Amino acid sequence: MKIVRVLFVVVLVMSIGCRTKVRAPEGVVASRPSLYELEIGKKVYQRYCVGCHGDTGQGDGFNSFNLDPHPRDLSDPRFQKTKTDADLADAIRRGGAGVGLSSLMPPWGKTLDAAHVDAVVVYLRSIRRSS
Amino acid sequence: MAFLAVLGVSPIKNALRPYRSIQQDFRRAGIARATNLKAAQVYQSRPIAIQQIWIPELDNRVDRCTTCHLGIADDAMADAPQPFRRHPTTPHTPKDFERFGCTVCHGGEGLATSIEDAHGTSPDSTSPIIPAAYAEAGCGRCHDSITVTDAPTLSQGRALMERSNCYACHAARGHEDFRSDAPPLDTIAVKTGGVWLQHWLANPKAVDANAVMPNFRLNQQEIAELSNYLFSRPVPAELQHAIDLANAEPPGDAVHGKTLFAESRCITCHTVDGKGNGSAPELGMIASRATRGWLIAFLRNPHAFNPRTRMPQYGFTDSDVRDIVAYFGDELRDFDAPKDILDPVRVNQTLAEKGAKFFKSAGCFACHAGATGESERFGPDLDGIGDRRAQSLDFGRRADLPRTLDAWLVAKISDPRSFATGLKMPTFSFDASQRRAIATALLAIPAKPVPESYRYAPPQPFAQIPAGVIGEMITRYRCLSCHQIGGKGGDTSTAALTFEGSKVNRDWLAKYLVVPYSIRPILPERMPVLKMSPAEAEKLADAIETWYVDPSVADDPFAGHPQSDRDPAEGARLYTTLGCRSCHINGGSGGYYGPPLTDTPARLKPGWVYRYLRNPQRWRADVRCPNYGLTETDALRLTAFLETPPEKKP
Repeated sequence: MKIVRVLFVVVLVMSIGCRTKVRAPEGVVASRPSLYELEIGKKVYQRYCVGCHGDTGQGDGFNSFNLDPHPRDLSDPRFQKTKTDADLADAIRRGGAGVGLSSLMPPWGKTLDAAHVDAVVVYLRSIRRSS
Repeated sequence: MAFLAVLGVSPIKNALRPYRSIQQDFRRAGIARATNLKAAQVYQSRPIAIQQIWIPELDNRVDRCTTCHLGIADDAMADAPQPFRRHPTTPHTPKDFERFGCTVCHGGEGLATSIEDAHGTSPDSTSPIIPAAYAEAGCGRCHDSITVTDAPTLSQGRALMERSNCYACHAARGHEDFRSDAPPLDTIAVKTGGVWLQHWLANPKAVDANAVMPNFRLNQQEIAELSNYLFSRPVPAELQHAIDLANAEPPGDAVHGKTLFAESRCITCHTVDGKGNGSAPELGMIASRATRGWLIAFLRNPHAFNPRTRMPQYGFTDSDVRDIVAYFGDELRDFDAPKDILDPVRVNQTLAEKGAKFFKSAGCFACHAGATGESERFGPDLDGIGDRRAQSLDFGRRADLPRTLDAWLVAKISDPRSFATGLKMPTFSFDASQRRAIATALLAIPAKPVPESYRYAPPQPFAQIPAGVIGEMITRYRCLSCHQIGGKGGDTSTAALTFEGSKVNRDWLAKYLVVPYSIRPILPERMPVLKMSPAEAEKLADAIETWYVDPSVADDPFAGHPQSDRDPAEGARLYTTLGCRSCHINGGSGGYYGPPLTDTPARLKPGWVYRYLRNPQRWRADVRCPNYGLTETDALRLTAFLETPPEKKP
């Protein structure tokens, strides 16, 4: 009986979901991510990350020559595909050592607040090279 | 019957109001996104009604935006189309919706319940929505400081407005004391020549890419009048005397001058052929811009020529200055310049008198106040500019522009003379992102400031500049041109001096002031060699040690801790495992991002190193060194390692 009830609700919910599409008022375009998040992400990236990961994220910052292992190419589409936003945020927060990689990538979780980390992830997605 | 009909209209009208269907859409969208039954039920049971945020203490503001923007705090709506999309995370959202409402940041008509009225899309709207590109204008309504955390566009715009001398002509609340640091023009006649001045007046940026002076689009007649006027002005007797003496001096040693010029790191502010910081004039052709006598006299006492200049008075000897100017003459000149580039104008009194009038009417004196001793803000007040109604703006000839305040502002910033003939505002050469930044800063200037309780200025540590010998030295060497003390001063240097006494060892500082070296190799800006005498440096180092201290920095951070906390071997291990070497050189190897740490024992006090390691952002929020969350013990051990002299390091 209970299963039937749950099933009924699921079907009901799904049918409503299929039937309706949210109408946005005219002139309002849904954009993702917001300009503001992207700008903050870029700002934070350029302040804290660019030295090693480079302007375009390819791991070719001026400090990269000094690092072994070499900084990750963050713009690599294959790399981006294998990582969820949560994975990227986690690596930024806990650093290389925290996620089983090189300690040369420091942990930023106590330096950048959550919104800044999320904004950097948003920015990283925007610098993904087209494959 | 009629009464009943009228009575019936109201509920029908209400039932047809657009927000009701938008709210129904939100219900459906929410149910479609719901991941469980309970969440779906919450959406389903939402009442269809006007929502509002009422904030009595903020001008009795009532914002009904959430009647349609129902998902601003709803994570399920993170990527929903507008109007349901979750608000991006900012320092104030989601936590402060109830405290601030919406319109204080975004503009718009809070009370309205139709889309057009709420967004103020019609040209006669009293309060249109601020377009997303200028959204940071909202931050500036409460945040008064030039740099506002997490508002990079606003901060850039405010800094540009300061630097471009906007407030020299335009009055604005909070900028009453603004004075331009443009030079007084009372030594022009002996500084440069008519040909150079003509080029400069025609287009300053074409002569010097670092020029702050905008283009006044002067015609040949106006240039001739101004040149004659400026060359007719009497040179102050004491400056004329110094220049005469310099002119009579024998030529200097250009080779020595070249060395001195490089050592002094003039390109920390100036550029030579475009290389350098660019906040001060390009020097690549300086000898074709200013006469030898003037340059010598100026370098010996720049503050007598321009009391507001950011240029320090170097402790050069008389012959040092002669040598530097000889180097200018040999190498830093325009070899293609006409021979008469520095020949003075032979003054025509009639033109000079016309020029004097033009100097006033064009507003030159607003920046070059020294010329007449008077200063007057003759441009329109900027107060309230961010709340001007589009309908009240004069679009003049610009029929091409959308009738919006932001479009008007951007056009005014990029080409002010395109609106009508006879306008006085000069043309600046801002790029698109700079124009957007300045428009953002302007949109942040309200007609009526928000209540005091909503205003915010970042707290500044208290630090004074002592009077007397020390104050005179800090002024003469213009420390504040690059460094901050107690929140005042420039930010060319990353090192504020507010707590410098707790940071560096006094003996190191006394030596460093005489012969500074690069602490951060990646920065093009270096502390200039000011040619301070050792005696002066000792005095200044003593004063810094006395005045600029943070009482929370202990002399001995190890006091009261077990011996094991000062184990440099454990510190060395931490140094490796934390990856410090990716940014710092220590001994032979490491990165160039942060300052090398090899000289830490001589340079930095252990109490400061310890405090810094516990929280690198303690004194400056944007320090790049990450906070590793070190325990007391780990921070002490790392301090012990860093403070161990290189030859004794484990």
